[in-house]
Amino acid sequence: MITLRWATLLLVLGSLGGCAQKQQELFVVLPNPDGTSGAITVSEGPNSVVLDRPYAAEEVKGDKLEPTTSDSAQVQQLFGDALAAQPILPAHFRLYFVLDKDVMTTESQQQYKNVFLDIKRRPVYQVEVIGYTDTLGEQPYNQQLSLKRAATLRDELVRDGLNPDSITIAGRGELDPAVPTGPHVAEPRNRRVEITVR
Amino acid sequence: MLTQFKVILPSLVIVLCMIGTVAIATATPAASQNQIAQVKTVSGQVKVERGGGQTSPKPGDLLFEKDTIVTGADGSIGITFIDNTVMSAGPNSEISLEQFTFDSSNFNGSMLTELRKGTLSMVSGDVARSSPGAMKVRTPAATLGVRGTRFVVEAMGNQ
Repeated sequence: MITLRWATLLLVLGSLGGCAQKQQELFVVLPNPDGTSGAITVSEGPNSVVLDRPYAAEEVKGDKLEPTTSDSAQVQQLFGDALAAQPILPAHFRLYFVLDKDVMTTESQQQYKNVFLDIKRRPVYQVEVIGYTDTLGEQPYNQQLSLKRAATLRDELVRDGLNPDSITIAGRGELDPAVPTGPHVAEPRNRRVEITVR
Repeated sequence: MLTQFKVILPSLVIVLCMIGTVAIATATPAASQNQIAQVKTVSGQVKVERGGGQTSPKPGDLLFEKDTIVTGADGSIGITFIDNTVMSAGPNSEISLEQFTFDSSNFNGSMLTELRKGTLSMVSGDVARSSPGAMKVRTPAATLGVRGTRFVVEAMGNQ
């Protein structure tokens, strides 16, 4: 009986010890889908550590920053709910246009379906469409043309059933070319709209 | 009669517009501010604290600088910022969107997110790309500088 009481006491002390050891903060870098990662710098008072590999981790215990290890199982256990709540990641698309027209190239008309489907699978969405031109023609004309290209795309998305209030358009003319050229150069890769879906 | 109608109709339109403007201004507490993020997913109990008030967010709602997100024991939320930063929080979390600026014409901006307690997952966007140190996360004990990556943070908070 006495032995059992001692055992219980030891067990209680043991778990108290466990509580004192519990980490207060944990930081883990996660891999990108391609297996690479960027970096985070963790600073605590005068101390600073760079974590730049997948699952590189650091923790704060008491008031000390210490290296630690992590893996996908631990991340899933501690952060499973947060990760499950993660929204669908934003996507970026580029569609090309016919010279001097607000009409998509045949290839881009095919590609348009992917854009539409990507937006459609999101329960709520915000879409930004920005039109561009090459450097043929004069700047004010190109500004107008780029806006028309963006409007063409918006109109098509709305015709296919998307919410016009969730789509914004802008035209940037020959500014920010995908392929920098001199003035008055025909460049098919610059006749485009850039679409951000989030 | 026709002339009278012509006079009355425009004034009626103006009055209706004025009423509409006032209604919109009072319905949006953060009318003077720009949206910085949109709520994408909500599960369980979640509150957003804004200027002394509290709302229950739903997918599609807009969020503003200084908003604080609080999740209950069964709560989680996912949001996407206008610079394409993606953030989500697990249960028993408190997160403040302390500071956020972003210029979509040159992709420059800065953000400070504060995790007071709980679990946070982020996938960085354009702000983190704009300059080193532009994207920061603060916890009770530490400050993170983020350079283009996915990461998670847990903080026990001051309990």
